[in-house]
Amino acid sequence: MLKPKPMSRAVIVGHKDIMEATVEAIHGSNLFHLEDYNEDGSGLKLGRPFKNAGEVSKKLIQLRSISSFLGVKKESMPKKKETTVINELDSMLDQLDIEVSTKTEKKSELDSRLKELETLKKDISPFSAIPIDMELYHNYESIKVFAGTVKENIGPAISQVTSTYEMEYDQSTGTVVLFIKKEDEAKISEILSNFEFREIRIPQISGTPSTLIADITREEEGIQKQITSLETDISSIKDKYSEFILASEELLTIESEKAEAPVKIATSEHTFIIDGWIPDDQFATLERTIESATSGRAFVSKQKITNADTDIIPIEYDNPKITQPFQEIMDLYARPKYKEIDPTSLIFISFPLFYGMILGDIGYALILLALALGIKKMVKSDAVKPLMNVLIYCQISTLIFGVLYGEFLGFPLASLHTDHGIIPGLIAGFETITLFNSPVGGEVITYPIHRTHIVMTMIIATALIGSIHVNCGYIVGFINERRNHGFAAAMFEKGSWLVVELGIILGVLGYANIAPTEIIGIIVFLIGFVMLIKGEGAQGIVELPSLLSNALSYTRLIAVGLSSIYIASTVNLIAFEMILPQGGIVAVIGAIIVFIFGHALNTVLSIIAPGLHALRLQYVEFFGKFYEGGGRKYNPFGYIRKYTEE
Amino acid sequence: MAVEAVAYMDPAGLKAIGAGLAVGLTGLASGIAERDIGSAAIGAMAENESLFGKGLILTVIPETIVIFGLVVALLIS
Repeated sequence: MLKPKPMSRAVIVGHKDIMEATVEAIHGSNLFHLEDYNEDGSGLKLGRPFKNAGEVSKKLIQLRSISSFLGVKKESMPKKKETTVINELDSMLDQLDIEVSTKTEKKSELDSRLKELETLKKDISPFSAIPIDMELYHNYESIKVFAGTVKENIGPAISQVTSTYEMEYDQSTGTVVLFIKKEDEAKISEILSNFEFREIRIPQISGTPSTLIADITREEEGIQKQITSLETDISSIKDKYSEFILASEELLTIESEKAEAPVKIATSEHTFIIDGWIPDDQFATLERTIESATSGRAFVSKQKITNADTDIIPIEYDNPKITQPFQEIMDLYARPKYKEIDPTSLIFISFPLFYGMILGDIGYALILLALALGIKKMVKSDAVKPLMNVLIYCQISTLIFGVLYGEFLGFPLASLHTDHGIIPGLIAGFETITLFNSPVGGEVITYPIHRTHIVMTMIIATALIGSIHVNCGYIVGFINERRNHGFAAAMFEKGSWLVVELGIILGVLGYANIAPTEIIGIIVFLIGFVMLIKGEGAQGIVELPSLLSNALSYTRLIAVGLSSIYIASTVNLIAFEMILPQGGIVAVIGAIIVFIFGHALNTVLSIIAPGLHALRLQYVEFFGKFYEGGGRKYNPFGYIRKYTEE
Repeated sequence: MAVEAVAYMDPAGLKAIGAGLAVGLTGLASGIAERDIGSAAIGAMAENESLFGKGLILTVIPETIVIFGLVVALLIS
């Protein structure tokens, strides 16, 4: 539970004749983590892909391009028999290719025609209000044509220069077309430039603009219709073939993985050597599988794991099912190393605990619990599921703390008598019960715990929880060190911290006259200090104050929680004490809107803030004391079939 | 006799100002510190997504500053 799965190094050796059968068997078992071979001058060479590799990858590429064109999505479906898929693969693939390629060509043709028409339409549209055949703009010897936009009517200005001109002006778009004698060109150009003339390209086409535009629109509609019918065809092809595509893509992927496998394997002229890792308890299974696949001609041997190997051993978690979602949180940081304690089970306790302590509200717990369950049910993604499970654990913890704190959406559930009067609770008749006096701040511990009224006590309590958590970290670190470097190293590096802390506690007790003298404390502290310097060097001295700052960092358990309560109760205050008493239906609606949006906002914050802070306490304060991480992921050579079966 | 105007400061008001300063200034400090770390972390993540965990941790380290500010504010008020 607290250790990664034990691994064995296995080496498989055989004649090249049985290489394909061996690779097939290993891939089928999906247990063996293949170690890539690097040519190291020992005379062994990387293998060459099996001869079907080229063909398989060609088909796979063809299939994938069809699949992406059709937009085939991964969905659940009944598993197909491998043999049926293989039998129909070639004929179906050809058929599919023909059907799809004609459709793709047709569609891209239509698309490009549509684009052409759009450009043409854009070019013609400035002329739409001018009833001149587009043909008449071109091919003159003694006439100059201007077409463009101006800021206002240029007619009066032109008529001052010449009387022989023809002009059309469209007031609404500012388009002007002007036909003048060639010799007037220079003068007219000058006038035009005064009116901010901007030339428009005249399309080479015949017909009046309005009829042209009507024609284009008609043609566009026709093309649009054709595209729609093509798309229905494509989607019917997709429906018809999507199961085949998913199944055959899976099969081809498997085939291609197997066919490319030799490039990771060391080979000599006649033999091959496959090197890799396998979970200890599966070694016998692997041995049996390979033996039966090659009729005993391949030799499987277990290698001794050397110290140099421990850094490269692939890590497979070995946790009970209930704590497995937290492996996701571990992976976010780093996988443990092989000889390290795997803290998944530890954060399974502490992460939800801290989250619950921060949020501690029945209302939010129920909302988020429903949300998490809903998302878990709706989204099938493997990446989302563990995170939702983590969220569910956190909400259960929040619910428990919510009952302990007696809070519901920022309202206190029980009424509380204070010096300033009575704070009413949400549940009538539920009175706060006084339990005992807190040793600090003259505060009183009650049930439910009113966090807002015992801030001092809670700050001290959370700092104490922090000290306990941090010390758990030191103890885990001690175990790790002892396992890897022996008892003495563990004592100096991690145990010294515990001794230093003990010294501080004894010293404080002595100073407070609870213990007879502080001298013992100081002596113990100094012993610990020397051990620390021996264990960690100068770094230890620098890190000494972190004892205090780490413990104080846990005060966020109350601080962030209080900020969440204050947001919630402010929302309640605005909704029910400021807006609602205004009276009238508008005030009721306003109050409801503020209530819903305010709490929706705080719900989102309730995932982010407590989540990040609880996570940070694990990653920085807790892991910092012992965790190294950086293990490789155990990634067995094989494939988990979803759409096919053998 | 002229009555001298004496401006009384309500201690509760001063406390509130102190608490506000404690949270506000430490919030700014955290923000300034996290700005640089956060952008660097995003840059690193763009190169290598597996750095998310480390990036997150490094980014939230200065968060402690504002937590201490919040604690101080709670102690004052």
